[in-house]
Amino acid sequence: MHTTAISTFVTLLLFLVHSYLVPYLTLVDVVPDILLIWIVYLAIRRGQLVSTGAGFVIGLVLDLSSGESGMLGLAALTKSVGGFMAGYFFNENRMLQVLSGYQFIVAVFVTSLLHNVLYFLIFLQGSGMGWWDTFLRYAVPTSLYTALLALLPMFIFSRKYVS
Amino acid sequence: MRRLLDTALTYKEYLLLTVCVLLSIFLLAAQDSPQIRRIRSITVVSIGFLQDAFGFVPNYFDLREENRVLREQNVTLSEELSRLREAAMENARLRKMLELKEVGRYEYVSANVVGKNFQLLRNAITIDVGDEEGVAANMPVITHAGLVGKIMVTSSRYAVAQTLFHTEMRTSAKVQRGRADGILVWEGGASLKLKNVAKTLDVQVGDEVVTSEYSSIFPPGIPIGVVSKTHEITGDLFQTIEVTPRADLYRLEEVFVVTQVPDTSRVAVEQRASQ
Repeated sequence: MHTTAISTFVTLLLFLVHSYLVPYLTLVDVVPDILLIWIVYLAIRRGQLVSTGAGFVIGLVLDLSSGESGMLGLAALTKSVGGFMAGYFFNENRMLQVLSGYQFIVAVFVTSLLHNVLYFLIFLQGSGMGWWDTFLRYAVPTSLYTALLALLPMFIFSRKYVS
Repeated sequence: MRRLLDTALTYKEYLLLTVCVLLSIFLLAAQDSPQIRRIRSITVVSIGFLQDAFGFVPNYFDLREENRVLREQNVTLSEELSRLREAAMENARLRKMLELKEVGRYEYVSANVVGKNFQLLRNAITIDVGDEEGVAANMPVITHAGLVGKIMVTSSRYAVAQTLFHTEMRTSAKVQRGRADGILVWEGGASLKLKNVAKTLDVQVGDEVVTSEYSSIFPPGIPIGVVSKTHEITGDLFQTIEVTPRADLYRLEEVFVVTQVPDTSRVAVEQRASQ
């Protein structure tokens, strides 16, 4: 109960960070996905079930707050699949090693890449934009940038738990 | 029954994923139903309230830069005001001479950007005005620099606007000098693309791009951006024109909503014609 309350509070806090600080981190038009980093963290810390559910709820709130009429459910779908995928990195016995090591970065990158592939597969349906071009132009840089940003929590964990 | 429950518990992760995926697909399919609109409205109010409450955080960091920009703008605007007064007087004289009718001006509602929703290729902002201030869907959103986008959804106190950096945004635009009309779209990157402009039309780098009279949503003449690149592809009838927006769409803080309601009969007839 206590852990769930803290997770909910952190999620709300990250929504605010997503709204206010992430636009300042935008490189050209590549936006890091800090909420996905949080979903991967939840997956490693609390398992596939929690990360899938959290992915769905976070995605749904993102969809609803975007105010769009055409793509409601897209972020919910991609983030719940992302959460499910990230759940494969869950290992109860090596939780802290994963969070404080390169595995966390790999988990964020792989999850983000899969998330973006699924996102663009649906989002670009019926549009004139090329899937491959968009994938190279957005999906890969976004995943790299998100993974780069995941270095920050990784270093915090490595200082806190490994030393 | 017990066995079924055991199986469900064994595969609970897969079951949850299936439920989440099915719900998402249902939402994607349900699109614009009244129930979804209601939930969306509640979410916009809640998120808008939270973003509004914590809005002081980035503003504090930006205050110094904002002051500098405002001082610069103040000087420029004072100078411009003086010139405009002269121009208005001259305009009034000329209109009288030509006996032209006074052109109706638009009304604006100022708003603060309380949230930015930058997702992959779907950029939107949340502003702190809504139904109570007379803001409605499809109203244009501008800054002192130029066009920002249009209102998508409103609630009583907040509204969400789609910016020009959104792949679903289509704007009828015109190159001011050469009078070439086209459709402005965004396909990623830091610039917009003006499409459907014939190769024979004269468009040069540095030309100003404004909203055109063909738009059923935007009033004509709102500055959008400047032509930053033009190139032609052999065998293509049209030229490719890149436009850099005047408004900094990633650093928006205050905007204005033009409370012009689109001509619904025009929108309806255009939609029917395009079907």
